[in-house]
Amino acid sequence: MKIRHLFFSTIFWVCCYAYTQNKQLLYDFTDVPQSLMVNPGVKTDFQWYAGIPALSGISLHGGSSGITVNDIFADDGLDINDKVRDRAINGMNIRDELSGTYQLELLSGGFRGRNPDYFYSFGIYNEGDAIGYWFKDYAILAFEGNADRLNQEFDLSHLKTRGEMVNVFHFGINKRVDNRLVVGARGKIYSSIFDFNSTRNKGFFVTREGQNNLLASTLDADMKLRTSGISELEDAEDNGNLASTIMKRGFFGGNLGLGLDLGFSYNLNEQTVITGSLLDLGFIYHANDVQTYTLNGTATIEGVEVILPDALSDPDADFWQDLVDEVEALVPFEDDTKGYITFRPTKLYASIRRDFGEQLESREICDCNTVVARGNGMRYRYANSFGGQLYMINRPRGPQTALTAFYLRRFGNILTAKTTYTVDKFSYSNIGLGVSIQAGPVNLYLMADNLLAYRNVADTHYASFQLGLNIISWGKN
Amino acid sequence: METQDFDQYDDLDIIPTYEASIVYLETPESVINAAGGANFYSQDFNFDAFAEDIFSERVLDGVLTYDVENTTSKRLDLTIEFLDVDGNVLDVESFSMDPAPTAVLRREIAYGNAGRSMDIIRNTSGIRLSGTNLGDSTSTSTLPDPMVTLKSSGKFRVRIK
Repeated sequence: MKIRHLFFSTIFWVCCYAYTQNKQLLYDFTDVPQSLMVNPGVKTDFQWYAGIPALSGISLHGGSSGITVNDIFADDGLDINDKVRDRAINGMNIRDELSGTYQLELLSGGFRGRNPDYFYSFGIYNEGDAIGYWFKDYAILAFEGNADRLNQEFDLSHLKTRGEMVNVFHFGINKRVDNRLVVGARGKIYSSIFDFNSTRNKGFFVTREGQNNLLASTLDADMKLRTSGISELEDAEDNGNLASTIMKRGFFGGNLGLGLDLGFSYNLNEQTVITGSLLDLGFIYHANDVQTYTLNGTATIEGVEVILPDALSDPDADFWQDLVDEVEALVPFEDDTKGYITFRPTKLYASIRRDFGEQLESREICDCNTVVARGNGMRYRYANSFGGQLYMINRPRGPQTALTAFYLRRFGNILTAKTTYTVDKFSYSNIGLGVSIQAGPVNLYLMADNLLAYRNVADTHYASFQLGLNIISWGKN
Repeated sequence: METQDFDQYDDLDIIPTYEASIVYLETPESVINAAGGANFYSQDFNFDAFAEDIFSERVLDGVLTYDVENTTSKRLDLTIEFLDVDGNVLDVESFSMDPAPTAVLRREIAYGNAGRSMDIIRNTSGIRLSGTNLGDSTSTSTLPDPMVTLKSSGKFRVRIK
């Protein structure tokens, strides 16, 4: 029951807080190996790198396109019931979303091949993702009810949510095609731990004036909730082996899928670079521990109807049970265990970058001088860069987009900082800062979004945090 | 910096009001005449809508609304009784109607607060409907489809939190 409680609590809170997956600070941050995870075609100069297990990449993203914690819980002397009614029930709309995303790298590494134009990367990460949209009409029904709302249809499609926890096993190839173009691809195997989705609901509930009785209540429903892994995790919790069950399902004991990332970097000229990537073009086939619940049909009831002389034919008639049976027959609630396919939330990144300022010494191993190196496809690194980025993610109510302007500054080969300004549905004032520190072979990066919001975290619509620790070698002493 | 007071959650009340039809009774005058005697209909039947835990444990107060219409040629009495699980009568509502033409009789009965006891609603698991003919058993109204109808609906406030 705790898992079920957690499941629905998650959905509820997801309705109040939206999380996005945009990693605009990490994108094209070539000093950090994890930038390969958001563009497998990013330019790399590492000889090899190894992430510190479980510490190489941790990211949490959070935000709200609707209300904030402060909107409801501010100590402002207002009645919380008025705040909930005005700001949540009536203040949010069905495009206000809720979701949560985290990513935790369990294993991460990469190495350059014998052919130095190839760089290979691999790893395992655990990812949790959930999204839900504000179920406005359900909230009105729950908070205010259907009374005195004759003919108002409560739209059942307002329930739109999905979420999952998955382990991802990946292997990527990054190839320098020539001194202008780098391309990359990453194959992924998904091992789903659990999944739930209910994204294509239709129908309505309405109360109208009755034909016979005073009121007629009509339910026209075409709803479906698909889950996998939930039952096994519930049983595991009851049996005290939840952790081992999560491990088992996460390491090929659950449901499996395949995916692909693609990316490129292309130098338009010496100092101008365009990049793009398409992530998580993939699917998971759920056949293990599947439970699908459906509610499909139409029924109109006007209470218990006793119409003579028909009602006299059976003096023992159970009108109430007949009514219940009739509704259940017209709108059956059913479950089955048929497999289903889910598609991963595909993400698209694109950017244009202008490099300028001081040229930095290449760190890449090379028995040559800089000029020769450039002839072999290597390019200068510049102390400064600025540019713009586009981010899109496929969501149940259509793509979400974010635009980012950035400035990146390198201080020698020790410290690199990137600052971003991002506009999306969550915020128009999202300023982020990322720092990568290279202390010998040790690389530490820290990135945080929406820094202005830290003045009052409870009032923020968006926040994210990423950090990681790697060992990097360029093959030089 | 503005501070937050999360104890406000305790003050959050979620008390929606729901309404739906309850019972509809329709008796044509031909059936009343065919019954011959005074009592033309009486039947107990199961009614668990109020007894469901999700309702009975959370309902705060409410109103039952009745519309009774008589288009027959005779005076009639209709009675609706609320019964507990053992068949004991918890509440009775009676309607006396003159022969047609007569207006629709509307009556609203409040439960909870200053109205009747909410325990009537909470403990109801059955309904008894009965009709009595206070006129003759031969005449027929000249109105189209003469009959007596009882319509009813309930509107209740329910505490979800």
